[in-house]
Amino acid sequence: MKPKVLLDKVGFWRATAVTGAALMLSIAPMTVSAVNIPTEVTDLGKDTYKKYCSPCHGEEGKGDGPLARSMLPKPRDFTRGAYKFRTTPSGSLPTDEDIYRTVSYGVPNSTMIPWDILTEEQRASVIPVLKSFSEAFEVRKPDAPVTVGLPLRPTERAIEEGKKIYEEKLECWKCHGVEGRGDGPSAAEQEDDFGFPIKPFDFTTGKFKGGNSAQDVYLRFTTGLNGTPMPSFAKELTDEQRWCLTYYVMSLVKPEGTKK
Amino acid sequence: MKQILFLIILFEFFCCNFIYSKDILTEKNYTEIEVRDGGTVIGNVKYMGVPAAVGKNLYRDWELSDASKTASEKLIFSKINNGLKNAVVSLKDITQGKKKIIPAIRPIIDQQNDCFIPHAIAIVSGTTVDILNGDEQMHNVHTRSTRNQPFNLGTTYKQRISKRFDYPEIIKVTCDLHKHAYAWIVVIEHPYFDMTDRNGYFEICDIPPGTHKFQVWHEELGNIEKEVTIHPKEITTIDFIYSQH
Ligand code: HEC
Ligand code: HEC
Repeated sequence: MKPKVLLDKVGFWRATAVTGAALMLSIAPMTVSAVNIPTEVTDLGKDTYKKYCSPCHGEEGKGDGPLARSMLPKPRDFTRGAYKFRTTPSGSLPTDEDIYRTVSYGVPNSTMIPWDILTEEQRASVIPVLKSFSEAFEVRKPDAPVTVGLPLRPTERAIEEGKKIYEEKLECWKCHGVEGRGDGPSAAEQEDDFGFPIKPFDFTTGKFKGGNSAQDVYLRFTTGLNGTPMPSFAKELTDEQRWCLTYYVMSLVKPEGTKK
Repeated sequence: MKQILFLIILFEFFCCNFIYSKDILTEKNYTEIEVRDGGTVIGNVKYMGVPAAVGKNLYRDWELSDASKTASEKLIFSKINNGLKNAVVSLKDITQGKKKIIPAIRPIIDQQNDCFIPHAIAIVSGTTVDILNGDEQMHNVHTRSTRNQPFNLGTTYKQRISKRFDYPEIIKVTCDLHKHAYAWIVVIEHPYFDMTDRNGYFEICDIPPGTHKFQVWHEELGNIEKEVTIHPKEITTIDFIYSQH
């Protein structure tokens, strides 16, 4: 399927020669768990995008599809290459796997649903399409993912330590509020890079947009959310402190919130 | 046979480079040459208008008249000669000229009393900038560039963020915790530029003789352009004027 599509699309020898090798590589390890993500835009990708994604994200990926008008948060504008949920450092482009994860998992508390109604192959095929909307992917490469150290146990002491970081060292409360309700003193005036209002996340709801696991939370404040005011706190903390902060942030979740 | 293969690989290499970096290439075309009898341009950038007095309330808790409580670095010009501060004068479309010199001492932008100081810097591409936090509280440093990798990093007291800017771009730097605070980093591909001082004064030297297009950028007033002819080893004086908009 894929080689054929590619051949139709790029009808001359040099492209074939270059991509041939890459293609062979990407087809070879076809295991159950690892999805293979095509490196070039395919017809399948284009069709899937047009049918399922463009109503919100727009024909050209500008986040301006017909359904987007009254929506908040807005569907992502892909033209800047700013992706919120990544394993890569602040400002870096996401890895293909990061995008695949978001497409499969969706973004809770927004209209972006988990796209598990699509096949794995379909979900993988839209990734090159999304990337083709931004010149950023032509001029830059994603940085290597940040290293996540071995998790600490979420003990009382770890949470207490995390509280200190949240309240004193890094002052997360200024945006997220002391109780984590997203109502800190700087919360009201926040806007994203596209000029739309954005609220610091309300931890008490427990429905983390980037995933609920400790590692997800760890990654969010370590890498930051590109295109939003949420900064990356890469240099300030040791790995141990990160886990403490992670557990404290997770302890702010109110049980009623999780039950929904 | 081997040679043919080699040629093909070489050809591929160029093609790919060309395709993948077309956007950089259009701007990455500055070559360094020896400029022997270059000319110099000096002059002032001026603004003929009235100041819009809005800005940060620096003296909120003081008993002062309203006008003297606010200060903004958005539009600063001299009352004496109308010279405009923080405008960047640069040569447009210059393809070759003097050597690019990356400053040995890194330019600094500091956060003090919730403000970025200085408000604007102009640098040649490849320069590393140190962004400091001189306040005993959290700040963040948030840029929105596309070509240069953007970043949004939280910083604590006495923390330093060092970033290199490789591509020409005008970059706004903000702090999301203090919305009024921002600074500009203007990255230019070649060494022919200057940022005006408080009298609007600038100077650019060692310009290859000939007619060049000059461009002025200012955050509030936008761009203006003008052609100037440079004569060997001579100083040309020129003023750029923004009229009130
Ligand atoms: C009903 C509208 C809607 C549709 C349809 C939709 N999305 Fe989204 N999408 C959103 C919204 C809204 C967001 C932003 C959520 C946020 O920022 O909180 C988003 C965000 C994203 C992101 C951003 C992830 C990040 O890290 O920043 C990706 C990737 C994405 N969508 C891919 C897709 C793909 C692929 C499809 C088609 C299979 C699709 N979306 C269909 C509404 C939609
Ligand atoms: C400048 C304001 C600001 C500061 C300071 C800040 N955040 Fe955030 N944070 C945000 C915003 C805004 C969002 C929501 C982005 C969105 O909804 O897409 C967010 C989102 C998050 C998320 C992601 C939740 C999710 O949906 O997956 C986590 C985790 C988080 N912040 C943790 C922290 C921690 C820990 C700190 C302190 C070290 C901190 N934040 C400091 C503004 C801030």
